Amino acid sequence: MTESKKTKQAGITRRSVIKGLSTAAGAGAVALAAPGIVRRVSAAGPIRIGVISPLSGDWTIVGKAHFTGFKMATDEINAKGGVLGRKFELIAGDYKSDSRLVVEQANRLIRQEKVDFVAGTMSSADRNAAAPVVTKTDKILLYPTFYEGQEKEYFPGVCNKNLFMFGPVPSQQVFPHLDYMIKTHGKKFFMLGSDYAWPRVTNQVTKPKLAAAGGEVVGEVYTPFNTPQYESVLRQIRASGANVIFYSLVGPDSITFRNLLQASGAHKDHVIWTVGDEEFLTTALGPDVSAGDYASFDYFMSIKHPNNKKFLDTYRAEAGPDAVLNTVAAGMYNAAHMAAMAIEKSGEVSTDALREGLKGLTFDGAPQGSVHMRADDHQLVLPSYLMRVRKGWTSAEDMFEQAHVVERAEPSPANCDLPL
Amino acid sequence: MDALSLAVSVAMDAVLVTLVLAMAALGLALIYGLIGVINLGHGAMLTIGAYVTWATTHAGIPFAAAVILAALAVALIGLAFEHFVVRHFYDQPFETLLITWGFFMITTEVIKIIFGTTMHPVTSPVTTPLDLGIAVLPAYRVLVAGISLTLIFLVAAVFYRTGLGVQIRAVIQNREVAGLMGVNIGRMYKLVFVVGCGLAGLAGGLLAPILSVGPYMGNIYLVRSFFVVIMGGVGQILGGTIVGSFLIGGSETIFALFSSQVFAQTIVFGLAIVVLRFRPHGILNRR
Repeated sequence: MTESKKTKQAGITRRSVIKGLSTAAGAGAVALAAPGIVRRVSAAGPIRIGVISPLSGDWTIVGKAHFTGFKMATDEINAKGGVLGRKFELIAGDYKSDSRLVVEQANRLIRQEKVDFVAGTMSSADRNAAAPVVTKTDKILLYPTFYEGQEKEYFPGVCNKNLFMFGPVPSQQVFPHLDYMIKTHGKKFFMLGSDYAWPRVTNQVTKPKLAAAGGEVVGEVYTPFNTPQYESVLRQIRASGANVIFYSLVGPDSITFRNLLQASGAHKDHVIWTVGDEEFLTTALGPDVSAGDYASFDYFMSIKHPNNKKFLDTYRAEAGPDAVLNTVAAGMYNAAHMAAMAIEKSGEVSTDALREGLKGLTFDGAPQGSVHMRADDHQLVLPSYLMRVRKGWTSAEDMFEQAHVVERAEPSPANCDLPL
Repeated sequence: MDALSLAVSVAMDAVLVTLVLAMAALGLALIYGLIGVINLGHGAMLTIGAYVTWATTHAGIPFAAAVILAALAVALIGLAFEHFVVRHFYDQPFETLLITWGFFMITTEVIKIIFGTTMHPVTSPVTTPLDLGIAVLPAYRVLVAGISLTLIFLVAAVFYRTGLGVQIRAVIQNREVAGLMGVNIGRMYKLVFVVGCGLAGLAGGLLAPILSVGPYMGNIYLVRSFFVVIMGGVGQILGGTIVGSFLIGGSETIFALFSSQVFAQTIVFGLAIVVLRFRPHGILNRR
């Protein structure tokens, strides 16, 4: 908490310093009474980016990683002199982990702070809230989180030419590892998730792929948020003889269920494959309950890619030696670097230039490996890692071991009117 | 799984779920059931108990001692809260409702400021499952269920078998007369309130290894605890808490045999409304 205050204050100080400097420069220019000089001064000013992060409220910790991921990248870019001779300036929009405040922050950043583009938001609901604002004002939004994929009926939250997606979708997170899981643990899958859009859509698109890979669904249950008892669900899972619990319970519910699975001695008969429990949640589970289970994402702190070491070192220097991050922070980091590359490539900072620059862009410096922004549907082609939770892990860094890695996971084409 | 072992395992699950829920609701049953304070801070008290347990076990204190510390800490907070605020509002149910809600909000924010919003694990002190041959049970839950049952009977014994219990019952039945007979009414109220808070703290500590410790963990049990007390019958500490917990928690395990868990949960709450329609004072209250 105090740390988040510190970052916020630092942000404000930095911003006011820069503001002060540009005002001074402006005053000097006015004194010269030469409008031409004023224009040149402002053109060489910083490129302003609005970063919409949940820096307080329920998601403070993840939100800080989310913001820091982006800031790390812009610090790296600024240290090399910026883009087109201009530095990046970040303006934080804290929406307090409340989707309803996203609209307010997006409006403030774009209309008052006059940012050149925005990055961030966490959940799909957040992104859907920000999307109408960026559509109306014609700004680009860079979205970092894993999510359910694009369906044109949900425009403008998806299938939007102003949105670029830097997190994985189920076809990347899940499909590449189905064969491995069936071969290693068996073909019977029990699908258990929290009752909202992302788990349902993930399971729905996974089912045909699972069947094609020779697997079968032996049960499917969605439970409401804050369910205190999972005894009945567990009995259903035991009776189904499932080999794999394909798992998208989130937050406290995930912990309640996994505690019960372990406590009841059923964990040895069923392995969990989660598509939601990353470093933060696994930390809250502890090593005893989580050992032996699988998780799949585009990024983990434990992956062995050479880019990752430098990424983690920089992150630690920024956020402290024990700081934890997850896929979302990596998504934000990639978003900032790729935006810089896009601006460099197209030679200007306008919305159109950024959009054209991002389409088809490849970034080899991503912590998870090489990534590529698909031109048609603005979906990032990413590596996909299936990781096993290590027995007796001690920190987020040695939490997982690589089980199955796909270096280039192509997402299924978005269900939109393509190209965007 | 054959029919017998299924029946045994369902019955066992129902008993465990019932008693774990009863543990969570017991403190509320005292405070709401006996002195009529609609304590919306009950969930927050569970949460504080869990945080104290997490913080102290984290510092190397054994689990059992940590849970007792949790109970004492919450009892102490309850004592201060009662002494400085609640006792001035005993006859005003709506005001106490708002005050205890305020307590919940302040507590939650303070927890967030001190501990942040991340969830923390509390390692279960008993990890090996209990294998009865016919059914395998989560050993720690069996332990919690045992403690729960013991405490319910202990509270009931004090209530029905001791002089102190007589005084409390007298105060509940007729405050003026009890006062005229020399019972210290303020002290009785304070005692019940503080013990109720302590039990909530204890429950929070015991629930910590089952759930996860986070600023909102108590909320999971807040609404259910109220249902338990109202269904069982306000003031029915012994039978009411157990019957209410079975109806709100344990019975779901049985309904889930014939439907999905989510549907079973809906049936349970639907049933609760129907029961209250015909027995507005709870199952065990005739009035």
